[in-house]
Amino acid sequence: MAISPGYFIGEAWSSFRRNWVMSLVAVTIIYISLLLVGTFFLTGAIVNRIATSFEQKVSISIFMKDGAAPADVQALQGDMQKDPRVDSVSYVSKTQALERFKERTKNSPQLVEQLRGNPLPASFEVKLKDPRQVAAVVKTIKADPALAKVIKNAEEDVHWGQTIVENLFAATGIVRLFVLVFVILLLVVSLVLIGNTIRLAIYSRRKEIGIMRLVGASNGFIRTPFLFEGVFQSVVGALLASGTLLAAQAFLVPWLQRNLRFLPVSISGTTLAQLTGLLLLSAVVIGLAGSGAAVRRYLKV
Amino acid sequence: MISMKNVSKVYIADKPPALSDIDVDIAQGEFTFLVGHSGSGKSTLIKLLLREILPTTGEIIVAGQDVVHMRNWKIPFLRRNIGCVFQDFKLLPNKTSYENVAFALEVIGKSKHVIRTQVPEVLKLVGLDDKAESYPDELSGGEQQRVSIARAFVNRPPLLLADEPTGNLDPATSLGIMSLLNRINKTGTTVVIATHDREMVDSMRKRVIALENGKVIRDQSRGVYGYGD
Ligand SMILES: Nc1ncnc2c1ncn2[C@@H]1O[C@H](COP(=O)(O)OP(=O)(O)OP(=O)(O)O)[C@@H](O)[C@H]1O
Ligand SMILES: [Mg+2]
Repeated sequence: MAISPGYFIGEAWSSFRRNWVMSLVAVTIIYISLLLVGTFFLTGAIVNRIATSFEQKVSISIFMKDGAAPADVQALQGDMQKDPRVDSVSYVSKTQALERFKERTKNSPQLVEQLRGNPLPASFEVKLKDPRQVAAVVKTIKADPALAKVIKNAEEDVHWGQTIVENLFAATGIVRLFVLVFVILLLVVSLVLIGNTIRLAIYSRRKEIGIMRLVGASNGFIRTPFLFEGVFQSVVGALLASGTLLAAQAFLVPWLQRNLRFLPVSISGTTLAQLTGLLLLSAVVIGLAGSGAAVRRYLKV
Repeated sequence: MISMKNVSKVYIADKPPALSDIDVDIAQGEFTFLVGHSGSGKSTLIKLLLREILPTTGEIIVAGQDVVHMRNWKIPFLRRNIGCVFQDFKLLPNKTSYENVAFALEVIGKSKHVIRTQVPEVLKLVGLDDKAESYPDELSGGEQQRVSIARAFVNRPPLLLADEPTGNLDPATSLGIMSLLNRINKTGTTVVIATHDREMVDSMRKRVIALENGKVIRDQSRGVYGYGD
């Protein structure tokens, strides 16, 4: 049985024209569902970025005693740089520390005038590849024998803001989990919704399916135009939803950046590509699964 | 063409069977009426032949194929050998007469060329060549039934089943439909008609199989509808 794909495309198109009200309803519902999914996906991406930018501020500071031997300081730096979890180790000399202090207090110069000499210690600032590792890295550093030679007291001179960091990670973890659960939930809800819509459209054409079966159309032949149609409707809905979201974020993100200066709001190109991919992929899956499941019911013998 | 052996059909356990212990053989080229009261099992028998339902017990052979043990994917190929006609015509309202008939060929993958030659031919056979472009709601009941017969026959199946084809039609129109089915039978097609239409059965003098409560109570080769029942 050699039936050209042209037949099915023609059928899909003519049935779209014949059943355009049903198709319009299906496309609209798919559009709205995917719009919701996409909105939350983008919100999630923004929140994730903000959380990451907070996390990246986490670092370890090690304050050294005056007069520590340069060889010991270098030994400690070398040990820390060898640690694969460490991203960078930067040395802040006593002079640099004073400069920074002056810079920070330039509105009250009398503070600097009161200083006798330079009481500020030299320090290391350690940044991590994954800030969540901070507690473990601190433990390793404290165990390093080189450390004891350059500081006075391990408890006081190694700073990493333990409670703040732990609370931050708890908060970002909850936010991320919430966003993930919500996106998945929305996706499932829209799958069901869209599947039902397609089923309704097919239900309204069960007479046609019955006649096809009666005159001996094979199941594959009956199913194919419905699958084409389901996928076609879903993809149209997904493209509309992606288009709307891309346009909306092009306006909204700069607006947020202007009005929420304290938050690093941004969406990367990768995220936008992922969004379009996610919506299109869901659309194809939903279209196939929804129409496939619906036709199956009328193909049972 | 049709062979049923010890066929029974029970829809709902505890209820009397819709058909019990049916033995029927219908040869190729025969013209057979299936008569009986409402609920006697005529439609059930037709559905069994079409493999719309499976018998509870028994063997059924239709057009050389074992209907009972047939794989599901083969059912469409069985149906391509059977034309069927129903009381409610089962036409697609958004297709013209021509398109309704062509539909039966399209969905079994016939080429455009075959469609363009066979559809006008069969529309002419049923006397509707001038109504090819009409939609079902622009046709009388008798004309709609002719379209549905044209659709059933366009593929030249060896077997044609009709379940009360004249159930919705007046006597004069019914006569026309019967003579059309008779003409189709003359081309060599086996025809089986389930009907209530007493006059029709009596006037045609064909084989009559009478059902009552799911049993064959009479099988006559040049029969009549019944004895005053
Ligand atoms: N799907 C079904 N489920 C349960 N019982 C059924 C079903 N279809 C038919 N029956 C029963 O089987 C019996 C035979 O029904 P059938 O439709 O074959 O009768 P019929 O001879 O065609 O009647 P009619 O002349 O009214 O069309 C009836 O008692 C009917 O109630
Ligand atoms: Mg009946």
